[in-house]
Amino acid sequence: MSAMAPSLTAARVAVVSGKGGVGKTTVAAALAIAAARAGKHVLLAEMEDREAFAPLFGLRKLAYTEQTIAPNITGLTVEADEALVDYLRMFYGIPTISRALMRTKAVEFATQTAPGLKDILLIGKVKEAESRRHEGAHVFDCIVVDAPPTGRLPRFLDAPRAVTELVHGGQIRAQAQGVLDMVTDPKRCHVVLVAQPEEMPVRETAETIETLSKMGISLGPIVMNGVWPEIASLGKDPITTLREAVRVAGENLSDEAVDVLASVASTHARRARNQRKAMKTLADDVSLPQIDLPYLFTERMARPEVEQLAAILSACVS
Amino acid sequence: MNIDELLTERHIIVCTGSGGVGKTTSAAALALRAAELGRRTIVCTIDPAKRLAQSMGLDQLGGEPKLVPLAAGRAKPKGELWAMMLDMKSTFDQMVLEMTTQERAEKIFENPFYHHISNTLAGTQEYMAMEKLWELHEEGRWQLIVIDTPPTRSALDFLDAPRRLTDFLEGRFLKLMMFPYMKAGKTGLKMINFGTRVALRAITRITGSELFEDVANFFQQFEGMYETFKQRSRRVRELMEARRTAFIIVTAPTEPSLKEARYFAERLTHDKIPLGGLIVNRAHAVPGVAGLEDPKAIASRVGDGILADALRTYAAWRAVSLREERLLGGTLGAMPETPVWRVPDLADDVNDLKSLREVGQLLATSS
Repeated sequence: MSAMAPSLTAARVAVVSGKGGVGKTTVAAALAIAAARAGKHVLLAEMEDREAFAPLFGLRKLAYTEQTIAPNITGLTVEADEALVDYLRMFYGIPTISRALMRTKAVEFATQTAPGLKDILLIGKVKEAESRRHEGAHVFDCIVVDAPPTGRLPRFLDAPRAVTELVHGGQIRAQAQGVLDMVTDPKRCHVVLVAQPEEMPVRETAETIETLSKMGISLGPIVMNGVWPEIASLGKDPITTLREAVRVAGENLSDEAVDVLASVASTHARRARNQRKAMKTLADDVSLPQIDLPYLFTERMARPEVEQLAAILSACVS
Repeated sequence: MNIDELLTERHIIVCTGSGGVGKTTSAAALALRAAELGRRTIVCTIDPAKRLAQSMGLDQLGGEPKLVPLAAGRAKPKGELWAMMLDMKSTFDQMVLEMTTQERAEKIFENPFYHHISNTLAGTQEYMAMEKLWELHEEGRWQLIVIDTPPTRSALDFLDAPRRLTDFLEGRFLKLMMFPYMKAGKTGLKMINFGTRVALRAITRITGSELFEDVANFFQQFEGMYETFKQRSRRVRELMEARRTAFIIVTAPTEPSLKEARYFAERLTHDKIPLGGLIVNRAHAVPGVAGLEDPKAIASRVGDGILADALRTYAAWRAVSLREERLLGGTLGAMPETPVWRVPDLADDVNDLKSLREVGQLLATSS
């Protein structure tokens, strides 16, 4: 393990986010696996019924209650209404409210209506796990959260502050303050942004970083997902260059075959170069380390692909 | 069907699809092409990022329509391209102002709960997109309105959200719940079932009661506006179903995105909303060629170098392309009547008018 490798686990909680479609769920799962292999007790939590992790761990569905889904990995799906039930029981000892009762429209209404209540309940659950101790030691030393996409992330993380402003009294204010303390403590929580190495996604990543920094939230390394491998340049005239290479190699390829090869390879080379440019732009723009994950030539991210990525991330979980 | 037909004949084009498939770019490319085909076009985007504005050569998009300068270096186009960003809050404010008196509207604006609804309540963004669409339509300045939809997890949310929001605001149920806080309420507490009462009391202990007083005030001020609200939503719905409207589903050639597209197409048909077609973005169409059946074998034969690199790259993308074709075949086979336009995965970013124009060209020349 390189001493210089950036750490994705410098804070106990890694809030993994990114624009829709960049692969944040895959990265979150890979990070959890990598941390578990490094001997950490990991909690992998998804926010609301996304059912994204379950298939990666050979399950149909993640339960609301914590369950072991892989060696050293506890899985959990956080639901606002369930969190509300827990909350009421924990703070008020209200046993009369059964889960079934709480699934009435009243709860739906409350979580929809009260500004930030839903988000507070969701992060509150993470906070509870983060501070849970057994015989003095933290139960989880790494919590990976598959958070809402970047478009909704600032509002999600801002919920505790918004609640402290809007709600003047009540127990929730204290709860909100506790959550606020966690999300703004760099030792306890950082945001890991997953980005794609393209010009505009990179620009949006930089904007998100600026917004989060202003909110006092600390940022972990950026994970660049889907980096195309660089290939040898075919120069200005790819067809002629390739034709020559075919002749030298003594191969027999039709002109059509060489044309297709040249077109595919030069498009790839140009795009790979553009990606490096985008990555450099971001590196110049923000002072966060980047961790590159290769494009795996598949859009289907199943367990073997996640394992491949986990192997790479294992250098970044110290 | 050629996409130009759609662009010249329709009055409203709604671009939908799950997040990250290039909806905003497609909407902009379609609007630009329509303008260059001679139509006075406006594109309204929801994406809060600055990308569309930048790609259209504007410093920033505001809530007001702006004319995009198209003439740079080429013959003056016959049409016009206008662009704007959906400003949720001001659209909501405007709507409230139209529905009630100035005095009452101001009371509503002051209510903290109103800020929450107009900014963060699930469904508001979608509803406001539709409200804006209606406004633009009513203004009558544009021959074609292209509207981008919010980046929801599911495209279906766009169709369902307005009803959710109207239900929420109409909320007979809510009024019952709010009874303890409503001064003028006439409904008896008896009507609320026991479970609701217990739950409400418990929740109030968490949130504090001021919040629910704000909520109650809000609903009181909103009293009488629900009917208007519903009428507006019905009217927008009619606009969606009109013959001169077309929904375009934007998708990537990936399993989740195609699945989503299919659900959405079925839903549109069920709701009698006209489906214009499907845009398949970022497909890696790499053809099979005689002599390149086993590129990896040739690559290992010729030894490292540019030829081996090219062969391996071809092999990797050909495999992706075959998989995508299979996925696409399944989806398209299930909707044989739907026109499909393809835009290949481009090496360069689409970030200016020139590249938007190229995307438009690709759409027009695609099958």
